[in-house]
Amino acid sequence: MSAPDRSELDGNEALVSELRATPPVAPERLRQRVLALEPGARVRMSKRRRLTLVVVPVAVVLAIGAAVIHGFVSSGSNQKRAMEPSLAFHHLTTAHGSSATGTARSRARLNVSGKSGNQLRQAAAQAAGQPPAEKTYNGPFYAAAGPKVTLNGLEQAVTIPTNRLVHADASLQVSVKGHAALTKATNNATQIVSSLGGYAQSVSYQSSHGGEGDALLQLRVPVQKAEIAIGRLANLGTLLSQQVSTKDLQQRLTSQTNGIGSLKRAIAVYEQALNGGTLSGSERVQIQIKLSNARHAITQLRRDRTATLQSGATSNISLLLTTRQHAFGVTHHGSTRIGRLLGSAAHFLALEGIIVLYALIVVAPLLVLGGLAWWVVRERRRREERLLASA
Amino acid sequence: MRVVNALPAAVRPPGLVGAPAFADVVAEHLDAVYRYLVYLTGDRAAAEDLAAETFERAFRSWRRFDPRRGAPRTWLCRIAHSAAVDWFRAEARRQRREETYSRDEAFLEESVFSEGLSPELERALRRLTPAEREVVALRVLLELDGSSAARVLGISTTACSTRLSRALKRLEEEMTHVRT
Repeated sequence: MSAPDRSELDGNEALVSELRATPPVAPERLRQRVLALEPGARVRMSKRRRLTLVVVPVAVVLAIGAAVIHGFVSSGSNQKRAMEPSLAFHHLTTAHGSSATGTARSRARLNVSGKSGNQLRQAAAQAAGQPPAEKTYNGPFYAAAGPKVTLNGLEQAVTIPTNRLVHADASLQVSVKGHAALTKATNNATQIVSSLGGYAQSVSYQSSHGGEGDALLQLRVPVQKAEIAIGRLANLGTLLSQQVSTKDLQQRLTSQTNGIGSLKRAIAVYEQALNGGTLSGSERVQIQIKLSNARHAITQLRRDRTATLQSGATSNISLLLTTRQHAFGVTHHGSTRIGRLLGSAAHFLALEGIIVLYALIVVAPLLVLGGLAWWVVRERRRREERLLASA
Repeated sequence: MRVVNALPAAVRPPGLVGAPAFADVVAEHLDAVYRYLVYLTGDRAAAEDLAAETFERAFRSWRRFDPRRGAPRTWLCRIAHSAAVDWFRAEARRQRREETYSRDEAFLEESVFSEGLSPELERALRRLTPAEREVVALRVLLELDGSSAARVLGISTTACSTRLSRALKRLEEEMTHVRT
């Protein structure tokens, strides 16, 4: 004890010595109780806690890291992005390899960002290795036979093949200035498709006093005239966005035609056998069943072939004429790469958050039940303790 | 009852060569911790339970104990202080719950702090507050220096010194009062 410490006790020497003379001593049972502590259990608990302390931060870091990497990868370089139109998704999806039965369909995704129309076609052809069965193009488009359509100064084209049976779907958003222009463009659109042998399946026109208005037209145009129609419709105003997808039906048609031919031959053989009179009773019954099945199958196949032909006859064009100056459903994360990276990372984090939230929603009832069970057990124990205390 | 020496002698803080084994610490400081808790709580049974809890907590965090940062006794007293504070809170809640709580006079007549103390000193100690008894225990019984005691109490050295002198003065007064 230091000198100043000793001075604090000065004047109380008698008291201090009495207190120190007979200090309380820990009972032997306490000593045994403390020495009997088990190290193993404590170490395990410590490990569990340490594991929690490591796993949680690592999970958080991984989640953020994954979001940043996703943002980095999806943001792309400035040079590459500069070539892309900003109002569309800019990818070409090519699906090919559809078999006669419509199974074993494989898909190849081809990014055509910044490619010209010719490059686009070449890339699509290379990727497919055969005439594409299904092709979707989102972005600038101009019809080879129609007026040229440009978007953001880029000139690109996707042709709808006319030498094969294809089904085409297109979706366009065109901006016009004012109500009068909207009405005029709506009428013109109907006239354009009529002049090309098509028709307007539905027209929905909506305008408000605030100056904004929209017209949604569902148009049907012969596939051979679809390119021209798209080109003319896009010229009704300022093209905001467009999506064109084609689906090759030729293979399906060929398969169905071949199937019908085979069935016809089979039916002829069966009929000949039945008319021959050389079959036994049981064989005759079997052949009759087969003939009946073949007739049923050929009827079904003919119906399918008619549907395929009808599907390949017209293309569906969804035209949205609007007085607004921006496209719907297009997100902008910023013009710089960092902005895009952050935006993309934020989206990814939000997705992760949604997944975690979903997991919590799923787990929460179990947690509530567990908590309730724990509370019931604790209350029962407390009641017992109170009972013992009052006894 | 388990085997008395279940604690392996080599349970030492990792990476600290020459650090005491936990069993040695128990052997050396159990009495001191128990005394401190008896004075603080004024209840031998509670002090016994709290001492056991203190060493359990200490054992749990023994691997993190660094003897270079403080003596084992100070460290154990800090843990005991924390355990005792929890106990006081629980007691306060219990007393509120059980409104009929009252100290049994017969129990009060029993010797709590030590069998060898004079009845006047025993009664005077009971009249002190737990905080006053605590500082007396740390400075007088456990003979901790001012800074160590202050660390245990979580107050400054000056405040600790003041509390000790007031506690001793009050103890003297209470003893005089009891005698008269």
